[in-house]
Formats: sequence, C-alpha cells, structure tokens
Amino acid sequence: MSTFTLNGQKVPFEAGETIMQAAWRSGIEIPHYCWHPGLSVAANCRMCLVHIESGRQMAMPIVKWDEKKQAYVPDTKPKLTPACQQTAADGMVVSSESAEVKQAQASVQEFLLLNHPVDCPICDQAGECKLQDYYYEHQSTMKRKRTEPVHKPKGVRFGPTIVYDAERCIMCTRCIRVCNELVGDPVLDMRERGNRNEITLAQGRELDHRYTLMTEHVCPVGALTSSDFRFKARVWFLKSQEGVCSGCATGCNTHVDFDPRYGKVYRLRPRDNMDVNKFWMCDDGMMTYRRQSEDRVLTPSLGRGDARLPAFGDEPFQHAARRLGSVTSDKIGVVLSAQHSNEDNYALAQLAKKLGTTKLYLAGLDAAREGWVQDAILRSADPNPNTAGARFAAGGALDETIEDLLQDVLGGEVEAVIALGAASLETLAELEPLTKLDAVISLTSHVGALPAVASVVLPVASVFETHGTFVNQKGMHQAFRRAVSSQAGVEPGWKTVAKLAEAMGHDLMLGGLQDIRSKLVVTTSAGATALGAEARA
Amino acid sequence: MEPADDIHLDDDAALELPAEPMRLNMGPSHPAMHGTIRMVLDLDGETVQNVDVQPGYLHRGFEKSCERGTWAQVFPYTDRLNYVSPMCNNVGYALAVEKLLGIEVPVRAQYYRVMLAEIARICDHFTCNGAAAMELGAFTPFLWILKVREWLWHILEAETGARMTHSFARIGGMAAEPTPGFKAAIRARIPEVRKVIAETETMLAKNRIFLDRTQGVGVLTKARAIELGCTGVIGRAAGIPYDVRKDHPYLVYGDLDFEVPVGQDGDNWDRFTCRFEEVQQSLRILEQCLDKMPDEGPVSVSDPRITLPLKSDVYSTIEGTIAHFKLIMEGLKPPKGEVYSFTEAGNGELGFFIVSDGSGTPYRIRVRPPCWFNLQAVREMVMGDMIADIIPTFGSINMIGGECDR
Repeated sequence: MSTFTLNGQKVPFEAGETIMQAAWRSGIEIPHYCWHPGLSVAANCRMCLVHIESGRQMAMPIVKWDEKKQAYVPDTKPKLTPACQQTAADGMVVSSESAEVKQAQASVQEFLLLNHPVDCPICDQAGECKLQDYYYEHQSTMKRKRTEPVHKPKGVRFGPTIVYDAERCIMCTRCIRVCNELVGDPVLDMRERGNRNEITLAQGRELDHRYTLMTEHVCPVGALTSSDFRFKARVWFLKSQEGVCSGCATGCNTHVDFDPRYGKVYRLRPRDNMDVNKFWMCDDGMMTYRRQSEDRVLTPSLGRGDARLPAFGDEPFQHAARRLGSVTSDKIGVVLSAQHSNEDNYALAQLAKKLGTTKLYLAGLDAAREGWVQDAILRSADPNPNTAGARFAAGGALDETIEDLLQDVLGGEVEAVIALGAASLETLAELEPLTKLDAVISLTSHVGALPAVASVVLPVASVFETHGTFVNQKGMHQAFRRAVSSQAGVEPGWKTVAKLAEAMGHDLMLGGLQDIRSKLVVTTSAGATALGAEARA
Repeated sequence: MEPADDIHLDDDAALELPAEPMRLNMGPSHPAMHGTIRMVLDLDGETVQNVDVQPGYLHRGFEKSCERGTWAQVFPYTDRLNYVSPMCNNVGYALAVEKLLGIEVPVRAQYYRVMLAEIARICDHFTCNGAAAMELGAFTPFLWILKVREWLWHILEAETGARMTHSFARIGGMAAEPTPGFKAAIRARIPEVRKVIAETETMLAKNRIFLDRTQGVGVLTKARAIELGCTGVIGRAAGIPYDVRKDHPYLVYGDLDFEVPVGQDGDNWDRFTCRFEEVQQSLRILEQCLDKMPDEGPVSVSDPRITLPLKSDVYSTIEGTIAHFKLIMEGLKPPKGEVYSFTEAGNGELGFFIVSDGSGTPYRIRVRPPCWFNLQAVREMVMGDMIADIIPTFGSINMIGGECDR
C-alpha cells in the first residue's frame, strides 16, 4: 500500500483518499471543523491546512522582519493546503505541526472566534465544543478585536427538534450536507455573505425530516441544539456507556449518556459502526432514551383492574407459581418478546422447556400500528430490536403471534400465560380473552396492553439497566451494557425468569451472563457467524 | 510486723528498689507532642531506655487527595503540609509543576516568591525556637517571638489575604501582584526583628537553665544524620552544610548573597542557634530582594493555557471565557512525564515527585516531607536522656504533623 509521511510518521492510504481520510483511519487527528468522515468535502473552515513540504512555495514573494538586520527582507512562504481536500500521493511529506501550519491554525481559530458570543456558560455544547478544544490547543491568545461583534439571530426555531443560534455558527455547512447527502431533503442552506452568513431554512419548510437530530450531532459548535436536550444537563457531569438502539431492527450503536449522580439517562448519541449505522441514527431512535423514565413498571402487583394491589418480596413470585401450578404445565402459553434481549428470551425459553410446554409465541410492536415508517437509510421495516434474537432463543423459527395465543386461549389449549415484555400489537379490547384466565404472568419493564390484562405483574430492568445482546436484521449479535442501576428489587429479565422458575420448583441452571451467552452461541447458528462483528470505526 | 530497725539506712543497696522498666505512653494527645505523635517509652526511673515513635495519627491523605482535582487545586493541600510556613510549600509545588511544563516565571514573580518564602521561613524558625524556650519555662521570649510572627503574618495577610493557609502561588506565577506597601512594610520590620532576636538571645544564651537543658542534649551525629536523610536545620546543626538554596539554587537564590550556618555538636543548642542564624540570613536575603525586585512587570507567565485570564476578559471576550472554562473544568494539562523537584522549606528538603499522564489531573504526587526523615532521628536523640529532655529535643525537630503524616 502507498504511504505518505505525516509529521514524520508513515501513513498508508488507498488510491483516491485524501490526506485527512488516511490520517483519520490511522487514528491521527488533523484539526478540522467542516470535514466529517460521513459527508462530502467542503474545505471551507480552513482549520485543516497542512504544509506539504514536498510541494511548492507560494508564487508571490513576501517580506519578513529580520531581527539581525533590523529590516524587512524578501522571503517566500509555503502554500498551505486543506488536508481534507488534497488527495494523498505516494511519498508526500506532510506536516500539520510546522511553524507555518501552527500560525495558520491559530489565525483560523482567532478568525472563527472573532464574532463569537460569550455564550459558554449558557451553551449546551460547552464541554464538548471544538471551538473550546481548539482554542486551548491551537490558539491561546487573548482577543485583539476591540469592536462590538456582529450580532445575528439567536434561538431560531428550525423545527420541532432543533434550535439554531446564528452567532455561534462557524458556517462549516455540515448540517446542510447532512440534509442533502444523508437524508436527501435539502431543507437547509446558507444565506448572506462574510460575517453576515447564516444557515437558513428552505422557504415554507421546517427542519422536520426523520434525521433532524443528526444536524445537531454533526454541529461542531453550539449553533444547532436539540430542543429536547437544551438546558437539561451539563455534559461534563455525564458519563457514557455503550448501547444498542432499541428503536428498530437495524440496531444502531449508541452512546448512552447518563448522569451517574441521579442514575438518569439524558440522551443517546450515535456510536460509529461502519457495518451497521455508520455515523448516524434517526430521530425516533435518538428519542428511545425516554423509555428509560416513561411508563415504567417498578413494583410487582397482583390482581386485575381496580383490585390490583402492589406486592413485595417473594410474595408475587409465590403467588404466580401457585396460580401456574393449578394448570397442567403443557397448557401454559409462553410469550417471548422481540423487545427484550437474547438473554431474557433464552431464560424464558428454558423455562418453557422445563415446563414441557410447546406453546411459544412472539410478541412485538407492529410498524403500521406504531406509525413506524421504514426508509432506505437506517430505519428497518421491523420496529423491534430483537425479533431475530427472540426466534433464535426459541430454537429457530417462531411465527406464532399473540393472535395465535388468543385463538389457543379461546380453543382451551392454553389455560395460563407467562409473557415477557410490554410490547404487543393488540389493544386492550383485543386481549380481552386473556382476562378470563386465572394465571397471566407479565414480566415487563413498561406498562402496556399485555401487563394491563395480566393477573400478576413482575417488573424487570430496562435496556439501559442491564447488559444484554440484540440480534439485528442482518443477524449481527450486538452487545449493550448497563448504563444506570435499576431500582432496588427490579432485576434483569433473565434473573426474574429464573426467580419465577425457582418459585415453581425448577432450576434453570442459567449461571451468569457469560454462561447464557456461551449457550446462546451454540443454539443460534445464524447469529453466531456475526458475533463479534461489533467493529468500531 | 517486722521491727522498723531491720532497715539499715546506712546501706545504699537496701534503698535501691528492684524495678521493672516502666512503659509509658506519651501522646498522641499530649501538649508537648506537637502534631499528634505518640511515643511509647520504656523508662528506667526517669531515664529513657527505649522509645517507639509513632506518627500517623493525623490521617492526612494528602497524596491521594491530589489525584482527584486539577493540578491547580493541589495548592490548598500544600498549605496544610508544613502549616507554619505554607508559602514555602506553595512555591515548592508550583516549581515542580513548572518544571514539568518547562516554563520559568517572570523575574518579578521569582523575587516575590523568594521574599514570601523567606518570611515564611522566619515565622517557621521563630515559632520553633519560641516554643522551645517556652517549654523550658522561658515564657517571655515566646511572647516576644510571637509578636514578631504576628508582624510578619500581617504582611503575609496583606499580600495573600490569609494569615496561614495562603494558597497564593499559582502554576506559572503568583495569584496577584505585590501590594504597593509590600516593600515598605518589610523594610520597616527588618530592624525590629533583629532587635527581638538580640533581646531573645540575651535572655537565653547566658541562661544556665536553658544552656543545661539544651547543650549536649538530643545529640545527633553527622554520620547518622546523613544515614537517616536528615536535611534542613537538623542536618546542618549536625554538621552537614546542605541547603537546597545554596547547593541546587532555584528561583533567584543563585544571585543572592547568604551564608549557610552549620553546627558542630548536633544537639538542641546547635539547632536553636542555627535557627536564629538562619533567620538573620533570611533577613539578609529579604534586604537584597527589596533592592533587586522590579516594581513593574508581570507576576505570571502570559500563556492562557497555564494562567487564568483576567476576570474582565472572562466576562467580555470569548477567548477569556474559553480559557477560563478549560482551566477550571479540565485544568491545565502538563505533558506526560515525571519530575522530582525540591526546594528548601522550613524543615529541610521538601521534594515533590509528580507524575503526569497528560491529563488535567495529577496521576501521582509523592511528597518528600523533610519532617518524616528528621523524625526518624528522634529515637536516637532521646535514648539515654531523661524523660524531661524529650520535650526540648522533640521540639527542636519541629515535627509538623500535617507534613509528616501521609
């Protein structure tokens, strides 16, 4: 492979790659604002100027102050080139640290801050802002400009999700390129010139496509802010954990940002994975973090309707076991969930095996009912993160749905139900036959139709409160990690299943999470091949 | 009952009571055990047969505490090392980080640091000698000496805003310029301090009780002092002419003219006189600095990556805001690496071994507290002496718990 030299270090590149791309792939950062690995080259911020030492000097001579002669003397200076635009060539000698480059970086940085408002204390970007980072690394001089900065519109509503501040904007055009290139909906553009530049909406439009939050995500400064996250948290208090989006079967990789002091999840950010989501996520996926705090089931309860009462300790498990014990065990219907992890589903499938029942069903969300729209970018047709995983856990195919369960209940083949998850296609009215059964045990993290008709509800941890794996539509196993602790008494689904099994007198021999995963690999042939394909870009 | 005349009063041996050595706990809560030290004594009558010196009752956690803040947030902890001369520690730590950063502070700041550190040294030595006199019954010199310390603390308070815990040095300079009255205040006090030293010496230097209690008591030989790593007054009184200011000059000490007083016997008396002589030398240093320190010029380096911007800039310019934000929220970031930097503090060589992983938080800060090494000598000093000699001997070590304990 051909190489060029960057700051004395050999960097390999493929034909046609730019200096910036090759350096980025080798893990070397050349300072930049407008360049983004997932977008086209704009080369307008000038922060990535590098000195190609093997290149030519500028044609026009300059004069330089000579300390010894105490006079200006003619000199030349090198032509600096944007690394994001310059195609790499074999044997090129490039420097992003030479004196000329450092001066250019400092000048560009000073220029970008020329009219920047003193907003850090009220800006959501503070703490993860490139202007701050690069000021510290590349400028570190005080303001020389003594005149009033140019003022531009602040707090402009771009759409339901995004607020724009033109004063903070450095006109890198990343947001415009996201709309044009990723989404194919050219709703943003730039207007005016020079220091009156600002980003503007297409006439009569709002920023309202399905990837609006990606404009905020790529914004290197605090110009675009998400109305959802705005003023909610300071980023230096947040910690991050690796997650997988539970919004659909694509399984976009995420950073789950949470405040460890309160155990509260504040936002998701896309985690780069070239095989799955590249650099992106859709708005609905970004918003799934809200599920952590909305509509949660946190205490076990017994009974139905007005007679439902909270229960504590082992009592709900004993109660559930007694109810289930009064039914012939092969007449217990077991509902797996496409919303829950492989581990949870595996544990429940094991329980079904112990009980000797073959009545397995799969519950999940329905795209049409949820108003879920598929697209060719990221959004899968299936709004469940783990349909494939739940099927694998059941031992392969599992096509029986809740509708089949209802048939079986009406036909008398199922007399009791153990259901995982809140998700189901059906409404409360459609699930009415289940209310006739004495034993409907719901293991759920959220409220929903299934828990509503259950006679025993056992809370389980959410995807942010537990380690687990999902299998996405491509059959890739993707692990997510616990970000926040669950409330006391609320345990991961597979542990809750094991506890229920114990109350019924069965030992599922699950062991720990690692044991479950090792068994899952054996039982899931299709998924096993993709395991470990969590390549991080 | 046996008749009383069985005891032969003319027989000396009969009065010698057969006795086991008595074990006595002195401290940790004892007025003379400065800095919460416990001494487990084995006594034969009043003679010290053996002693086990046990530090560790302060539970400082200094070094570990340093590992969770920014580099600048270490200063308040250094104030509480040797809290009798906190400016010396401030300066010592600042120099260590500056060594890691490879920067030198402006000349004015160097003189300013030297002057504040010397004032702190005078306070330190005076406090120790004053307490030594008081503990041997001479209360008047103690009051005179504390009067001097009060004068000097007023100067320090005017400069730094605090009498003891100044936190006044900064990485890359000082927190503020000298006040306009700084030089005048020192000029006015120097002759008065000299007068108090002279008065105190007349009170003590010919005082039979004081001489008997200090001369030939608590002896530490030069060889043992070297072996134990004793520095500062303890080492110099024992005959080691080692002073970091002279042997490894830092700041502007190389340009200043001063002597290093050295003792001969390594006893309490030598340590006492050494301290007073060093105060005289510090006064000389101060006098030279008064002449040499520029009245104009910066007291901090001008790099916003190191020095906090002016508040007026923070509130009115984005550059100032960002610089402030970065330094406060993330801290300045020295390059990866480790340095050992050492200065002459009140009690001897105060060393900081610091390790940086390139982040805004110290990876490791190890302190070489002079007291810790000096304290090791106490056992040998008091062995064979009377129990009452422990008080002046231990006092002359000037053990400061805040520095000694980890």
